[in-house]
Amino acid sequence: MSVVREPRSAAAHSSLLRVAGLRKLFPIRKGFLKRTVGYVRAVDGIDFHIDEGETLGLVGESGCGKTTTARCILRAIDPTGGEISMRLADGSVVDLAKLGEPELRAIRREMQMIFQDPFTSLNPRMTLLDLVGEPLLVHGMKSRREREERVADLLRRVGLRPEYMRRFPHAFSGGERQRIGIARALALQPRLVVADEPVSALDVSVQAQILNLLFDLQEEFRLTYLFVAHDLSVVRYISSRVAVMYVGGIVELGETEEIFTAPKHPYTAALLSAVPEPDPRTRGKRIVLQGEVANPAAPPSGCYFHPRCPHAVEVCRTQTPVFQEISPGHLVGCHRAHELRLAGVE
Amino acid sequence: MDFATPPTRMAAEPLLSIRNLHTYFAQDEGIVKAVDGVSLEMNERATLGIVGESGCGKSVTARSILRIVDRPGRIVDGEIWFRRPGANGGAGNSAIDLAKLDADGTEMRSIRGAEIALIFQEPMSSFSPVHSIGNQIVEAILLHQDVDRRGARDRAIDMLRRVGVSSPDQRVDQLAHQLSGGLRQRAMIAMALSCSPTLLIADEPTTALDVTTQTQILELMRQLQQEDGMAIMLITHDLGVIAEMATDVAVMYLGRVVEQAPVDAIFHAPKHPYTRALLRSIPRMRARSRERLTPIAGSVPHPYDRPTGCPFHPRCPDFIAGTCDRQTPVPRPVGERHTVSCFLYE
Repeated sequence: MSVVREPRSAAAHSSLLRVAGLRKLFPIRKGFLKRTVGYVRAVDGIDFHIDEGETLGLVGESGCGKTTTARCILRAIDPTGGEISMRLADGSVVDLAKLGEPELRAIRREMQMIFQDPFTSLNPRMTLLDLVGEPLLVHGMKSRREREERVADLLRRVGLRPEYMRRFPHAFSGGERQRIGIARALALQPRLVVADEPVSALDVSVQAQILNLLFDLQEEFRLTYLFVAHDLSVVRYISSRVAVMYVGGIVELGETEEIFTAPKHPYTAALLSAVPEPDPRTRGKRIVLQGEVANPAAPPSGCYFHPRCPHAVEVCRTQTPVFQEISPGHLVGCHRAHELRLAGVE
Repeated sequence: MDFATPPTRMAAEPLLSIRNLHTYFAQDEGIVKAVDGVSLEMNERATLGIVGESGCGKSVTARSILRIVDRPGRIVDGEIWFRRPGANGGAGNSAIDLAKLDADGTEMRSIRGAEIALIFQEPMSSFSPVHSIGNQIVEAILLHQDVDRRGARDRAIDMLRRVGVSSPDQRVDQLAHQLSGGLRQRAMIAMALSCSPTLLIADEPTTALDVTTQTQILELMRQLQQEDGMAIMLITHDLGVIAEMATDVAVMYLGRVVEQAPVDAIFHAPKHPYTRALLRSIPRMRARSRERLTPIAGSVPHPYDRPTGCPFHPRCPDFIAGTCDRQTPVPRPVGERHTVSCFLYE
């Protein structure tokens, strides 16, 4: 995996975030003494970077480790190993994985999160002013008047009327609540925004509004997004690059157009073909994968995808593929990446 | 469309014909008109997709057909004509109005689960956690068929095998939580089909599943339909799933069917402004990345706050002042099996 791990000096120029060898194992405890009998390898050594102002889409099915990755980066949970280097506003690079709580506190204003469910992620007893103003207060904006002005400005930016500042979240629809969550995330002018399935709880007609908003805010504030989602059509719309995860590892990473039109990993190809297109004239061209996603507590030998892979050969059963660059900026972890001709989205 | 008389006897009489159905929920705050004048038809062996956003009444329509609307919900008006296979071998087919039956009476009980079966969205909560899945299927078979316990158990194992559950003779004794999401949904389908229904209602059958598992389940449903020849009413918010499966589509908005047409017409010649807007707003796999979406303005109104006239008029780009906000449009034929409720076509 040496390909992605460039020397840090080179990274410091472009990347806002650089993740190297990130691991998170959850112990499985059993019995009276709660002895650790094994580990769930939720994230098992992944490498990627995100450049300033771009959007990296992190896709995969449930249990693949995409949310765990996001939570490790924000240090909502502590990673088991690896580096998470972030370049701060003042130009210095810190390893988030090594920092303690006091140092993290100051850095947290530079990275914020947008949550999936706008119904449970907002405290129902707080008004919009309190919700959006809370991060400002925590980070030292003591004057109430100043906070009110800033909150009004933020609400306007996300398309809500500042007059609603004294209302409670229950008075708003799902889409509007997601706007409140976005305003709260943007309150401290973060540089990195981690969005974990931000539109999957919304109605289809409202999804587009929120996606367009995220897009506009990115342009306006030069935000960098890590966009975690399972819906590939949403990911295609928002991302500049895409990383595909399967059972704790990244199997393919590259420019969005390339991943979608010329995938190199059989899992990516299967995932793309599985998404039903809203057009009855494209029916019936699906790759139906057999079996189910491997158990991250007892993954199969060799390539984790081999039991379901229609292209698996002997080497796939025995050896773990190396995640390597096959064309500039396009990385794949597959033994047969060079020989396979896989179909993408036309 | 004319709803005045019971269905006239034609050559191809529909299997199910809903006329002007109203299902209301009387709450302390007011009446929620969950289903407010739904009319639709479906033929034998057809797959009718019902699509709409949250609160459009698609699930309540399904529950009204089965007469399992939760209190305080009540069918206040309308007819649900369902054609039953006649006692004399199908020659003397007779239609029956389910809306007039006693929900707990013998007749409804002999239809529910036998002639009309239901698959729920969440297979975890629709199985009992303390009974083996086998026993639950056996119970359904014993209720509707003239077999002994041993025969019912054999039939349950057969059904599990047919839906692709591996080693069904062992799985039959397992509890729901011991199965993965995909297997649970397969078991659910086995239970629903164990009494060979003529109509299968599937309410968001793949929404809780990962996309590669969704492909497997949709494929399975298609195959079983070919073998058994039942009609499927497929309820979903996912236009991709609709395009993949349906022969006909009914688009619902706020308790009404705004458009019904063959699947190709819905996707390639949509008439209702809501159908058109919905199709424009969804992100597509084939679209170029980072291309702006066209959202529908506003959001679905709160159920207590229904707009007057056409329920879509506050969000409609083709709104005609003085007409759409005053009068309610009724379904009009605009093509072969194609009806629209909109003043643009009057």
